[in-house]
This record gives sequence, structure tokens and C-alpha cells, in this order.
Amino acid sequence: MHRILIVDDSPTIRKMVRASLQALQPVEFLDAATGLEAIEHLALARVHLVVLDLNMPDMHGIDVLKFVRRQPRYKDVPILILTTRGDDASRQTAQQAGATHYMTKPFAPDALAATVQALLADFAFAESDGV
Amino acid sequence: MTTGASAANDTFIVFSVAATAYALRSQQVQHMEMIDQVTRVPNAAPFVDGVVFSRGQVVPAVNLRVRFGFERAPYDVRTRLLVVQADARQVGLVVDAAREFVKIPVTAIQPPQEALAGLSGKYVEGIVSLNERLILVLNLEHLVNFSEPLVAA
Amino acid sequence: MSEPEPFFQGFLDDYFAECDEHLAGATRALLALEASLGTTGTDRVLIDELFRDFHSLKGISAMVELRPAEQLAHHLEDYLGAIRDRKVTLTAAGIDVLIDGTQRLEQVVNAYRSHQPPPSIDDVAARIEAIAPRPVKPDAGPDRVAERRAPEPSLPRWRCTFVPTRELLARGVGVDNIRKRLTEIGTIIDAVPHVRPDGTIAFQFTLETAAADAIDALLSDGVVVEPIDSTAVVGDAPGAVRPPGAGSTAAPTHIVRVDLMRLDQLMQNVGDLVISRSRLTEALTRLERHVPSSEWRSVQENIVAIDRQLRTLREGIMRIRLVPIGEIFRRMPFVVRDLARESGKKITLDLQGQGTEIDKYLIERMLDPVLHLVRNAVSHGIETPDVRIANGKRPEGTITLSAFTSGETVTIEVADDGRGVDAAAVAARARAAGLPVPADTLDGSALLALLCSSGFSTNDEADRASGRGVGMSVVKSTVEQLSGTVTMTTEPGGGTRFTVELPLTLAITDALIGRVGAEVFALPQGAVQEVIEVTSSDVRLVERNEIIPYRRGALPIVRLARLFGIDSAVGERFHVFVVGRGAAAVGLAVDRIIGQREIVVRAINDPLARVDGISGATDLGDGRVVLILDPGALATFVRTREARAVGAVGDWGRLQA
Repeated sequence: MHRILIVDDSPTIRKMVRASLQALQPVEFLDAATGLEAIEHLALARVHLVVLDLNMPDMHGIDVLKFVRRQPRYKDVPILILTTRGDDASRQTAQQAGATHYMTKPFAPDALAATVQALLADFAFAESDGV
Repeated sequence: MTTGASAANDTFIVFSVAATAYALRSQQVQHMEMIDQVTRVPNAAPFVDGVVFSRGQVVPAVNLRVRFGFERAPYDVRTRLLVVQADARQVGLVVDAAREFVKIPVTAIQPPQEALAGLSGKYVEGIVSLNERLILVLNLEHLVNFSEPLVAA
Repeated sequence: MSEPEPFFQGFLDDYFAECDEHLAGATRALLALEASLGTTGTDRVLIDELFRDFHSLKGISAMVELRPAEQLAHHLEDYLGAIRDRKVTLTAAGIDVLIDGTQRLEQVVNAYRSHQPPPSIDDVAARIEAIAPRPVKPDAGPDRVAERRAPEPSLPRWRCTFVPTRELLARGVGVDNIRKRLTEIGTIIDAVPHVRPDGTIAFQFTLETAAADAIDALLSDGVVVEPIDSTAVVGDAPGAVRPPGAGSTAAPTHIVRVDLMRLDQLMQNVGDLVISRSRLTEALTRLERHVPSSEWRSVQENIVAIDRQLRTLREGIMRIRLVPIGEIFRRMPFVVRDLARESGKKITLDLQGQGTEIDKYLIERMLDPVLHLVRNAVSHGIETPDVRIANGKRPEGTITLSAFTSGETVTIEVADDGRGVDAAAVAARARAAGLPVPADTLDGSALLALLCSSGFSTNDEADRASGRGVGMSVVKSTVEQLSGTVTMTTEPGGGTRFTVELPLTLAITDALIGRVGAEVFALPQGAVQEVIEVTSSDVRLVERNEIIPYRRGALPIVRLARLFGIDSAVGERFHVFVVGRGAAAVGLAVDRIIGQREIVVRAINDPLARVDGISGATDLGDGRVVLILDPGALATFVRTREARAVGAVGDWGRLQA
């Protein structure tokens, strides 16, 4: 069973993401409103994919991203950045920090679901490949 | 000198002004001093003898003889300054003599009669008889509220 | 997205709930921002909060496709971003625009909620664009980390380490819960995730709080607490949440917050030292003739050294008590805005010299008087826009609040460009109230004296703005109790200016000591222009008032002996303290000046002992109270006595009524 961590300070957005990804059942969702909570969840449970907002009050998404990528356990876990900024510079920064994919809000629920599904498949494939 | 210990007692300081005995609750009295020199404050109220330093604070000295309508008397060895606390204020009361602490049961204090000669105003809270002596228990707030006339003209 | 997405319509309840939260938060933050306009510390946190609110509103509005809300929130977010990035300064006008924008945004959301067409946002959007620079390329990364309050390690600091576990999380104790509880105890300076040697994760919070005992409550949830040495620099851990730029400067560890009561105690101690030194000097002086002069010189040198060191110590402590006057000023914009709106006036409040530092005690005492003067300026000074236009003025009135120090004085001014004080109306009202009014035209000081008379009641007793709280007479008496002066200049149709001058060094001051009969008085040296010796034959009587020739003119004098009812033989010669300047100068006559002393000023707080003409008390070393004269009040009395029937001391008493 896949476990997906949704990180966004807006409860409305978190619900919308969750709803968009229901099609991927069976899946367990974990919610985090702040970077610290996200790290806490990652420390205590095995997570298969992270949907990560960037602009959060206490710890910026990029910092979360960098911290997570330093943990051996999560070196390769798919992290999907979901943010309002759509410019190239932001994309590049995110990519350099280790983001697997980058999407902007507002998003179409189908597009999100499709992307997440693809990312999960990639990851499973990489895992089974003995990485 | 204590009375019967039955009911709730309050400790009072008894002092005299012009041969009459008065009492104030001891919690209201910060300390008693011999009065040394009072600096006159020009154009203050007639019953304010002036100001003194008490523990570093400037404290007005209210002459109770004058306040109660008696003739002013020169200070002598028995004259005392009672520094009292009323709300946030510290005020000094100049009295002829002060020497006793007594415990008085609250129930022994009677309300003052209307016809109490020579006195008016609300500063007398009650009357108690102690060893055949009449003591007037004072209400401090009214006593130091100088905008109230104390003596009926 | 080109097509409306019905999918997210199911989340409208969540959307509206979150909007309400952000809009309420933004409104609160904006009002707080208004009130604290000018105080840098508070602003940045609020600005960041506001930015986040509008950013979130933009995001979720985009998701539910409420375009007007998204666009307006975007405008507001851009403006806040420019302020945050210091590309533009936030002014009271800017806050106005933000408040209006937020209110319009609220209207848009509410319209959507009740299925009404949304109001237009064009006008507000245009206003925002007018004051905000064009948005630059949005910033990409963590430089825009949320900014914490710049750390001031003035309170004790603690490192609180929390290791999350599944059990704790199941109990509801997670890092967010810990963080919330820590913010209730104190301020979180930063929060850093760490990987421990065993691979587990720990969260390290740096907490600043005085309530050390409250931290104990967290120990049961596995939080390890250790005190931090306050001189240590905040750690540079990766991923740490820090204010931008903090890497370059260490946390300002050179600031200490001090309990004001302790400072007062310290001041008291220094005051006692000053008195002891005076007594020592006196005692030593009596000993001088018993001591060989060679020995005496070293005694003398030591006295001088102690004098100097005491003064330095005293000045040093005074400086600790200094606080920027911005503390008072920052409340004013809110007050002015409120009152101006109520009365339909348009007013700009100009604040100058907010960094001017004055004694903390002065700040506390002057808040009400300044508030009253500002309220007065709004209610009685500035006219309504149509009246102003009719008089050829700009519809918007200006109130200027300024402060500056010069030498030993701090000056606070409240000025307006309104209608000025109507001398005739004041005179008429004063007469009606039975107050003595001088016959000739009233100048600023005479008008002020009337306005400040406690008999002068204005018709706004019921006026919320002026009737409540402090009146002009209390303004004057407060200032005078602080050994200061207040003056007023006014121009009919042009405006009014109130100038308050206060001595910077409050508690200890140089004074001249004079004897009147058997009594002794002190007069603050700063107020004395000159001390002159007068011969009785020089004194002229003009309508029962005494004057003496002085500098090619005449100086009205008042004998303190007579004024205060003190027995004093009128000598052939006597001394006069000249106070006030130019036409306002008067002479205070004593028997003799007997010296100059540094005195510790003690306030006379009890109303029974407070009289006009006396501003405080001091101890010259023998425990006796020596009264300190109030030169301002005495001078005013002398200048205005011509207007009254002069008689005995009773005139003076009447001023107090």
C-alpha cells in the first residue's frame, strides 16, 4: 500500500490534492501543514511519494527538500513540487535541490493523478531494480 | 489589653486627639514616628501642616486636631505622626498621643448615633466601649478625602 | 487551465472557511501595522504574515476559479512582496490601500458565497498598482524564508530538543503540538531538524522565555531542555530557519532587557549616594580648620574625584532608562484615523524624531498628555474638508508630532494647520466661567493659561474625544510636575502649535537654594537666567505690583515671603531670581541665595500636598523636606496678576480653585 505525504499550509489545498489522488487507491495519506511536520512524518513512517508546497511559514519547501535528500532512506523517493510559482528559475532551483517533478497551481485533478501515478511506478521499478 | 476572645478580633491602634480616643485598623497604619520637623507647604489646606519625608517618600502631614475642628496645639514629646495607607496613598496623621495596640472584637463596634455631638460626616465608622472608655473607630478613606468638609460649619 | 473545473467546487466550504481565516488574520495584522507604523521591529513580522495571507488567498481562489479574488489577492501579495523586499516603504496611505483592498476582497468572496455577482476590483487594483512598483521576477528560493523577529537575547534562552516517536504521535504529541506549546511559553527563535548519530531525527528549538518553570511541563513528552549560554551565537545548522542575512551578523548579544523597577531602585541608590556625599562634604567642611592644609588638599582632591565619578555614574544610569519616544508616537496614527473618520475629516499625521530618546518615566507620564493634545488637534484644530477648501486650504489637514533633544532638554511638539484658537471665544467662555481675563488682546501664553485653568470647561464634556480622560489643565500640571514647560502659539485660520519642553535628567538636577524667612527653597538652576541683588529703594510700585529696573526695561517681581505667607523682615537688600526670557521674564524675590546644590528631586504625589508653584521636594542633607519651586507657574502668576484685583495671599489660593 502506497503512502503519500501531502505537504501544504492550506487545508483546502491539502483536501483537494487528497481528493484528486483518490483514484490511486489503495493509498494512505499523511498530511503536514509545515516543513517540520513533514520531516516528522518522514522520520516515523515509510513514505512512497511526497507532494510538496514551497512557500510555507516556518521552513521553506526547498529547505525541506534539501534536508530530506540528505537522508539515505529518502535519497530517491519521488518528491513532486506543487507550487504557485511557474517561472523557469524556480523550476531550476527545485530541480537542483532534488525535486523529482514540478507542477504549478492551480492544477487539474486528472493531471495531478496521472503524474503521481507515473512517479510511483518509476519509483517501484527503480526499487525492484535493486537500488 | 485584650477583651474576650470569642468573636473575630481586629487589631487597632488607639490614639488621642484633644482628649478623645480614636482607633484605626493596624493594617492601615504603616508606622508611627515622633514628629520632627514638618516643612510647611504654602497655601495648602489649613489642616495640612506640611510635608515630611517618611522612608524616602514625601508624605503630607494632616493635623487631626485641626481637621476635627479643634484649636491647633504646638507639638510636644507625645505628638506622633501616624503614617497610614489609604488606597495607593500614603498620608501622615498628626495626633496628640498614640501608644496602644488593642484587639477589638468586630461585633463590639456599634454604628455611630446621629446625635453624636460635634461630629458629622462619615469618617466615624463606629463606636466601641473599652474599659469604660469610649473609642471612635475611624474610616480612613473618608478621613483623608479632603474634598469633604468634616465639621459642620 | 482553460476550462472551469467542477471537481473543486465540492470544496467550497473549505475554501470559504480558509478565506475567512486569512481575511480575519490580514485585517488584524493591518490594524496592528497601522498602530505600530514606524517601529521597525514589529512591522516585518506583520508584513510577512500579510504576505502569506494574500499568497494563500491567491492560491486557493485560483483553485476554485474565483478570478477576481485571485487577481486582487495577487495584487495585494505583490505589493506586500515589494514592501517586504524593501523596494517600497509602507506609509499610512499604503495601509489605507491595503485595508481597502482586503475589504474588497472580502466582499468578493462573500458575493461568491451568496451567489451574487462580485463587485468590481478595478478601482482598488488601480490604486495598488499606483503605489506599488511593477512586480519583478518572483524570487525562486529560500532567501524568502519567513523572517523571524530579530533575536534579542535579553531573556534566558533554552535549547529544547524533541525526538518524535510513533507512540507520541499516536498520543497527539507531534512536532507541531510541541511547537505550539513552546510559543505559548515564549518566543521561538529558530527550529532546526537534526539527524542524530543513530540516524533518528530530532527537532531543536531555540526558545526565549522568562518562564523557565513552564518548560517543565514539556519534559514528560520527551522534550530535553538545556539552558543556552546567552553569549553564544545561534547555530548555523543546515536547513535552519533563520532571518535572512543572519549568517553575516551575529545575534545582537549586547542588548540586555532590564526590569524598570530595578532601574528605579538603582536610581534611588544613586540619589542616596548624592545626598550622602553632600553630607560628607558639609561635615568635612566643618573639619577643615582642624586639618593641616597639606592634608586637606588630598581630602579636597578626593571629594572632587568622588563628585565627578558620581556624576558619571548617575548619567550612565540615566542613559539606561532612555527609551525612544516612538513608543508614544506609534499609537497616534490609529487614534487620528479613528477620530478623523468619525468627524469626516481628512488628516495626515506626520511623525518626526521618533528615535528621540527620553526617560522611561517621562514616556509613561507623557502618553496621556500627548494623546490629549493630538485628539484636540483633530477635534478642534483641523476643519472639515469643505471648510478648509472654502478657506483656500488643501482639504487634507496635517498634524505634525515631533520630538528632539537639545542640550539638557527634550522638546515635544504637536502642531496642526487648522483653524487656530479663537481668542475671543476663549475669552468669552472664560469670563462666563468666572475666570479673570486680562483686558488686552490675549497672546499664546495668556490663552494657554485660560485653557488650562481648571475652571474652564469646554462644551465637549460630553465630547468623547476631549471630555474623556485628560483635560488641558492636567496636561499642564503633568508637564509642570515633570519640571517642564508647555507653551502655545496660534494663528487664527493658520493653526496651532503646542510645545512641551522637559528636562532630560529628571531625578537629579542642579538647583539654587534661597532662604525666605526661616524657610528654604530650591529652584532648578536651568530655569534661572540670572540672580541679581536688589536694593529696596530700586523697587517701584505700579498699581500695587512691584517692579524693578532691569536691563533698560522693567522686571515685575514677586516676593515669595508675601506670596507664601512667610514671616520675613524686608531687608535693605535682597536677592531676585530672574526666570523666563524677554517680555516673559519675572523676578522671584527671596531674602538671600544661600548656595547651589545638586539635588535629588522627589515627587510630591499626594493631592493634599500639591500646590501651584511647588514642583517637588528634596532633602538637602538634614532630613528636612525642602520644597522645589516651579518657576513656570510662578512666572505665569506674576504675569497675569495685573488682570486680577491684587490683595493678599488669597489671590494665589484662588488659582488653585
